[in-house]
Amino acid sequence: MKVLFNKARRLAGMTGLIFALSSGAAVAATPKDALVVGWQFDDIITLDTAEVFEFSGAEITGNTYDRLIGYDPEDVSKIFGVAAESWTVSDDGKTFTFKMRKGIKFASGNEMTAEDAAFSLQRAIVLNKSPAFILSQFGFSADNVKDMIKAVDADTLTITTDKAYAPTFVLYCLTATIASIVDKTEVMKHEVDGDMGFAWLRTNYAGSGPYKIEQWKPSEIVVLSANKDYWGGAPAMKNIFIRHIGESSVQQLLLEKGDIDIARNLETEQLKSVDGNKDIKLLKKGKGSLYYLSMNLKDPILAKPQVQEALKYLVDYKGLEDTVWAGRGQVQQAFLPKGFLGALEEQPFSLNVEKAKGLLAEAGYPDGFEIEMIVRNAPIRIDTAKSMQTTFAKAGIKVKLIPMDGKQVLTVYRARKHQLFFGAWGPDYQDPHTNADTFAKNLDNGDNAKSKPVAWRNAYAPEQMTKDTLAAVLESDAGKRAKMYLAIQKAHQQQAPFAFIMQEQEVAGLRANVEGYVLGPSFDSNSYKDVVKK
Amino acid sequence: MTELKSWLLAENPDSRAQASLGRAYLGWRRFFCNPLAMIGFVIVTALLLMAIFAPYIAPEGITSGLTGAELKEHRFQPPSAEHWFGTDGQANDIFSRIVMGSRITLIIVGIVIFTAPILGFIIGTVSGYFGGWIDVVLMRITDVFLAFPKLVLALALAAALGRGLESAIFAIAITSWPAYARLARAETLTIRKTDYLAAARLQGAGHWRLISGHIMPLCLSSLIVRVTLDMAGIILTAAGLGFLGLGAQPPTPEWGAMIAEGRDYILSYWWLATFPGLAIFVVALGFNFLGDGLRDVLDPKSGGQH
Repeated sequence: MKVLFNKARRLAGMTGLIFALSSGAAVAATPKDALVVGWQFDDIITLDTAEVFEFSGAEITGNTYDRLIGYDPEDVSKIFGVAAESWTVSDDGKTFTFKMRKGIKFASGNEMTAEDAAFSLQRAIVLNKSPAFILSQFGFSADNVKDMIKAVDADTLTITTDKAYAPTFVLYCLTATIASIVDKTEVMKHEVDGDMGFAWLRTNYAGSGPYKIEQWKPSEIVVLSANKDYWGGAPAMKNIFIRHIGESSVQQLLLEKGDIDIARNLETEQLKSVDGNKDIKLLKKGKGSLYYLSMNLKDPILAKPQVQEALKYLVDYKGLEDTVWAGRGQVQQAFLPKGFLGALEEQPFSLNVEKAKGLLAEAGYPDGFEIEMIVRNAPIRIDTAKSMQTTFAKAGIKVKLIPMDGKQVLTVYRARKHQLFFGAWGPDYQDPHTNADTFAKNLDNGDNAKSKPVAWRNAYAPEQMTKDTLAAVLESDAGKRAKMYLAIQKAHQQQAPFAFIMQEQEVAGLRANVEGYVLGPSFDSNSYKDVVKK
Repeated sequence: MTELKSWLLAENPDSRAQASLGRAYLGWRRFFCNPLAMIGFVIVTALLLMAIFAPYIAPEGITSGLTGAELKEHRFQPPSAEHWFGTDGQANDIFSRIVMGSRITLIIVGIVIFTAPILGFIIGTVSGYFGGWIDVVLMRITDVFLAFPKLVLALALAAALGRGLESAIFAIAITSWPAYARLARAETLTIRKTDYLAAARLQGAGHWRLISGHIMPLCLSSLIVRVTLDMAGIILTAAGLGFLGLGAQPPTPEWGAMIAEGRDYILSYWWLATFPGLAIFVVALGFNFLGDGLRDVLDPKSGGQH
């Protein structure tokens, strides 16, 4: 009994301590010149812009590096110069000449020149990490890139493509994370064994953006500090502390208490409960991010077309839109998000257990089967996956749900070692080719393929669709091009091992005094640059 | 009835059976008079009954299977006459899930208490009985396991073995045997030099016979007490692993995992995490009370002082 009593006493002591701590924290507002953000960023693997291909990493580098050009987040058709002041396109449509902006300084103090820009793009091609295809699709390779991308003098950069592509397509690609400009002198100082500073830049910073990366502790914190010499004017917030807060309920609580200024991962149910709170406002933005279920064709069961079709009929699209995704997403069943050129808006699939059962019987699984589904451990994804678990079970398919960290899921997925994967895809740039390229094109389905698009990750290699995709990107007439994409999506919708489910609407909860925070149409265009606190 | 009672309480029992039955009766009386022990006993019995008859008690099973408009209407319902403990985001009845979850809790506890203590018991008695280098080797292995915090080691094991109930059970079993080994060894050391063991040895009893026939029965009562007291710890460790996502995977209604699922909604829908939490609390308390009561009864050193 005495042991129990001691335990109780200790527990009482602890509770008192926690209470004292929490009541102390409640009165502390964040400083005027610092922004504190609560966010889930467990998917950051690297900070090297030549490798970043994750939602969170792209947002961090988007705020800390300059690219040659940018677009207006409110109207993506408005493209303007950033590190490049102006540009011209040659008559044959193959050579782009950029005039660099003067007076841009890197965090190291070095002046940015055309040489840095050329180096950054060449480096991305030579390193050839996951996102390298965004640039290499213009015919660049490690052998020729030094000739194709050149700094003519300190102010002039020329880029020559192998074919005449639609100019906007080329320019949109240059707005992607991989086209960020790194500080050549600084990066090469840390070169080890000819890695072009890759090992160093993965955890360090050599950029010129409005903010500098001070610190990144995986799944803990990212600290950004203002770049006082930023060419567009120093940002108002001296520091931005982005804390990894995995639980959205904790984010809600901290936001309500004023311990954080922005909560990035409020869930559907929490949006309801903060609605009407005077101290909190909600910022909403329709995103290009699509949530989809993909089936690895390496698995003999999933390789059967009837099984793939059956699974598409076993998702409760409407129910998900009304419950888990209420106010945060809309059903979209094609690989282009609404708002993109040529996006297909038809929705042929709905929950139809009888039809799915028939298809499964045809495929030889009248009683269903057991299968594993990997998913990142974030509430909205888990809840969606659970809904699928329930509806799949109606046709006898037993889903074993395996929630993992963002990092782990991506590692398994990119090595195509999954069976079912539920996750998200965000366009890398604002041209329809970005999604067509990854979902509908696979040039080499071998295990050691050079480029590994999402289609490859699921061992999906459609020959005709690959050809159509490559043809669509060369079409300069926008109307014809849109029709080509519609046709590709229709075929893709029926045949491909992907069930597109939801198009995201991102919602951030802000303290009422925070202004100027921008949620862009893609994940790398969320911007802290103009944030001020009233 | 009174005859039976006087037979049980006879000052000079006629047989060994009568003596031990009398002893058991006295123990039961002492146990019965201890209110806390009885509360524990009732809770644990109720848990057992609940687990056995779970499918009859739980009205709706572990998943509702609702979709579309029906799902929208029935999810996140507060506690009511229809759903005693409310419903969760998939419109599953939380009361049913807790009832079904009692089976998982009992399976974990059951498997762990029939593996870890036995393993620890054998290692401890062997180590204490033989002494010398066997003792040194076995105890150093035990030290290695004791050098890690239990939950951290279990976490590492469960993560390495892959998520799932089986690996959680294995991890808990692997991390909980050293305490029993220590206990059994200490008990063995106090009796290994006794005269009756020497006498048995002189009569030609082998090592195994001495350990199993003489030493183990003497250590058993303290082991049982320890196991009962540990059950609460086992339940909490299992719930902890489930909470951290390393135990049972959805939709299995493991209580710890249910709390983890509920924590995202704790500000809007308190009942999601509260009821599984209460279930863990009540059951852990029950096992603790039961363990305390059993110690009073079984511990030979405090025996007969009431």
